[in-house]
Amino acid sequence: MKRSFPNESKILLALLFFLLLISILGQYSASGGLWEGQALRHIMRIFLGIALAAYIFFTDFRFWNNYAYLLYAFVLVSLAIANLAGITKLGAQRWIDLYFFAFQPSEFMKLTIIFALARYYSMLSFIETMEFKSHIFPIFFVLLPALLIFKQPDLGTAALIICTGAGIIFLAGFPPKIFAAIIGSCLLLCPLGWFFLHDYQRNRILTFVDPDRDSLGAGYHILQSKIAVGSGRLWGRGFLQGTQSKLNFLPEKNTDFIFTTIAEEFGFAGSLTVLFLFILICYYFFWVASIFRNKFTKLLCYGLGMLLFSHVFVNIAMAIGLLPVVGIPLPFLSYGGSSMITFMISCGLLMSSLKQKKSGIV
Amino acid sequence: MFDDNKSGNCIKFRAKIIFGIILFLSAVLAFNLYRLQIGSAEKYVLLSNKNRIRLLPILPRRGRIMTADGKVIAGNMCKYKLVMEQCNEKKFNENIDLLRQCIYLNDEDDFRIARLRKKRTSFVVIKDDLSWEEYSKLSMILFRLNGVSVENIHARHYPMPLGFGHVVGHISKSGGSLQIPVGKTGVEAIFDDRLAGKAGNLQIEVNAVGKKVRIIDSQEPTAGNDIVISIDSQLQKYIYDLLSVEKAAAAVVLDISNGEVVAMVSIPDFDPNIISNQMTQSQWQSIVNDPLFPLINRVVGCSYPPGSIFKIVVAFAALNEKIISPMDKIFCSGGVKLDDHVFHCWNRWGHGNINLCDALRLSCDCYFFEVAKKLGIDVIVKYAKKLGFGTETGIEFPNENIGLLPSKKWKFLRYGTSWKPYETMITGIGQGALLATLLQSAVMLGKLCSGNYNFAPTLIKGRKKNIAMAPIDGKCIEIIKNALYQVCISGTAAGSCRTDYGILGKTSSSQVRKIKPSEIGMDQKLLPWKLRDHAFFIGCAPFKTPRYVVAVFVEHGGGGSVAAAPVARKIFDRIMEK
Repeated sequence: MKRSFPNESKILLALLFFLLLISILGQYSASGGLWEGQALRHIMRIFLGIALAAYIFFTDFRFWNNYAYLLYAFVLVSLAIANLAGITKLGAQRWIDLYFFAFQPSEFMKLTIIFALARYYSMLSFIETMEFKSHIFPIFFVLLPALLIFKQPDLGTAALIICTGAGIIFLAGFPPKIFAAIIGSCLLLCPLGWFFLHDYQRNRILTFVDPDRDSLGAGYHILQSKIAVGSGRLWGRGFLQGTQSKLNFLPEKNTDFIFTTIAEEFGFAGSLTVLFLFILICYYFFWVASIFRNKFTKLLCYGLGMLLFSHVFVNIAMAIGLLPVVGIPLPFLSYGGSSMITFMISCGLLMSSLKQKKSGIV
Repeated sequence: MFDDNKSGNCIKFRAKIIFGIILFLSAVLAFNLYRLQIGSAEKYVLLSNKNRIRLLPILPRRGRIMTADGKVIAGNMCKYKLVMEQCNEKKFNENIDLLRQCIYLNDEDDFRIARLRKKRTSFVVIKDDLSWEEYSKLSMILFRLNGVSVENIHARHYPMPLGFGHVVGHISKSGGSLQIPVGKTGVEAIFDDRLAGKAGNLQIEVNAVGKKVRIIDSQEPTAGNDIVISIDSQLQKYIYDLLSVEKAAAAVVLDISNGEVVAMVSIPDFDPNIISNQMTQSQWQSIVNDPLFPLINRVVGCSYPPGSIFKIVVAFAALNEKIISPMDKIFCSGGVKLDDHVFHCWNRWGHGNINLCDALRLSCDCYFFEVAKKLGIDVIVKYAKKLGFGTETGIEFPNENIGLLPSKKWKFLRYGTSWKPYETMITGIGQGALLATLLQSAVMLGKLCSGNYNFAPTLIKGRKKNIAMAPIDGKCIEIIKNALYQVCISGTAAGSCRTDYGILGKTSSSQVRKIKPSEIGMDQKLLPWKLRDHAFFIGCAPFKTPRYVVAVFVEHGGGGSVAAAPVARKIFDRIMEK
């Protein structure tokens, strides 16, 4: 086993180690300096994620290529079921109850959409990818689950799936002029989208534009989060010294706003470190993608990298008030099983592909 | 596996573009983090510290409500509130033990104190209303208690609770952290924005457990404005005493010259002092579960079949439309037959040949059955509406009951069936589906006596309402007035309303059920209370130039001439004395 362990993977393991260390410190602090409860459960989830990643590491990589469509179809059906009969948690239908574990199909859709797209494009020749008509299927691959997730309603995840999907389609050779035209017209049509939003989503956008509009209601999250981040200064208030999070001014401090706690306690230095670690991991994903000649693996790695970065960007931008509040977790750092599993699987896939490239399977 | 060099190059190039975008977005994040955490850090540090500053409201003095004769019916009373600052358990228990020596704390107080302590507010209210004895005992030991203080607060107080409850209304503490009282009913609710004033505040710095460190700033509250209402407190009290012998009754007095409500009494009533301040669960339950609904204002909040009072409207409509002349006579045989059913006059022996004046005087039902048939429901509805039935009277009370004015359209929308001729007849004597509040009946008479369709009641003293004139035909009014005068000289109200200044009036006994043949002519006092007729009297005086409208209603009082007219007479006498 030791021999088959690729050297390149060690870089990723080192990066992950630092990130997970920060995540444990952050959860410990956000839980008010207590191990019981969320901090401890977070550590358990890390180990669960590592176990899953290890399992995937030893799985034959060809499996993912062969079963890409089947996995996609399975998650799509689960999504439809969740929409029809799922558990409503926090006002949105996102969960399917499996009696021992309530799972979010939308979380797994993030991965399977990448599988399906990579598989589709791996079958096309370069000439074919230059034509618009060969991109019609992938567009539906992306839009169908995005619509279902949007209906749940989960605007954030739907947007992320569209971004990641659009990224892969672009990489695969989508005609650049049409791509630019679509993005341009989407920007122009944005105001129309207003009419399809739920009231609470409109409220979030309105308070995002003007946080003082409702500084005790919806604008409260944004304002308090900005206060916490801003009061961190260069070196932060120190570990466990954050007043905003300690005095319960911060909402959702363990999950979507975990970055805020870290930024308050470790300051600009801490938040830049986290951001830098994420950029390095992303770069690593892109680098791994570039060394493959196999199109499926290549697109898969690029897709995973883009998925990771879009999460990081949306979450941090939300915490510092650059984007409206949408429930997007920060990879590895936020408290939450589904997100932890998704990104642990991503890393497992990456290392698995490297290992099997060495043994000549991929 | 498929491999293509060109394709690989294309992907590689585009991946570079995407990574470029990633770097750019990261730079945006980093720049904004820099701006927040370094650039405007001072501002956010300050804001973060401000999260430790609490605003304590200072309640304003609520405006007083005064009657036209200058009596305060809603004022403020100074109360002593005992508060303690948050402190640790040991010190807290020491303080409480000392306090128990001079004040009495029951289980409810203990429970409330425990709850407030858990909430970590900066102060815990130990007791809301200290008695004078408790206060003086406490002052002896106050120096030994650290962090305990007595605060002066303005509590709402109603000096004349009996008889004014429905007019003055009550308040309740608003939810949220600001415990500013809000008017809930009556004048307290109508003029809440004027009475309330503006709260001031005290900025105090607190530490993490919510304990006060120091006062930073304070802003004085602005007191609310006083309101003078048109009610005459002495007359109100007098009417309340007259009516309080009844189970349920109401009366209203209007000044015709300006529409001001001089008195408004509804029985049973409630003590606003109890509802507005700390009320126990059992007190509230006893009010809510009372079968007589003491919270309902029977003058504006409740509608009844007006009965014979409505004959004034029908007579007025017939005269105005020139359907009948005052001298036309109609024969009353004691009943009118329509489709095999006989609609009886209250007098089974019949009134014989009878004209308009006598028909009103003796309240003949047959006469008005015939007139109503001739008029038709549409015309009756038209005039009833003009005289204020089925619409809001314009008095300031919120949620005024508008009664029910049945029409063909209403019948169709409500039951999906067409209007039947007999319904026109019984509407003509004020029965059937017709419903009106006591105030609507009084306003009707006010409109006729002031000769202005736009006459409207008001509760505010000296409110110069520039009411446009919508004149009513003077001839018709004179005929009606004369007939109403005859009612009190030799008609249904003659027994109690014959006076030297002259009252114009109309009695009414409206049925609340169908009368069985065996009960004809039965004494109402023998019936169960719930089945007796409602008794009404509306009238105005003096005869020459009517100045005041008085409307009296006794719920299930029996006959209008027996139960309501004598009360109205006493009210008139009292007004005329002045």
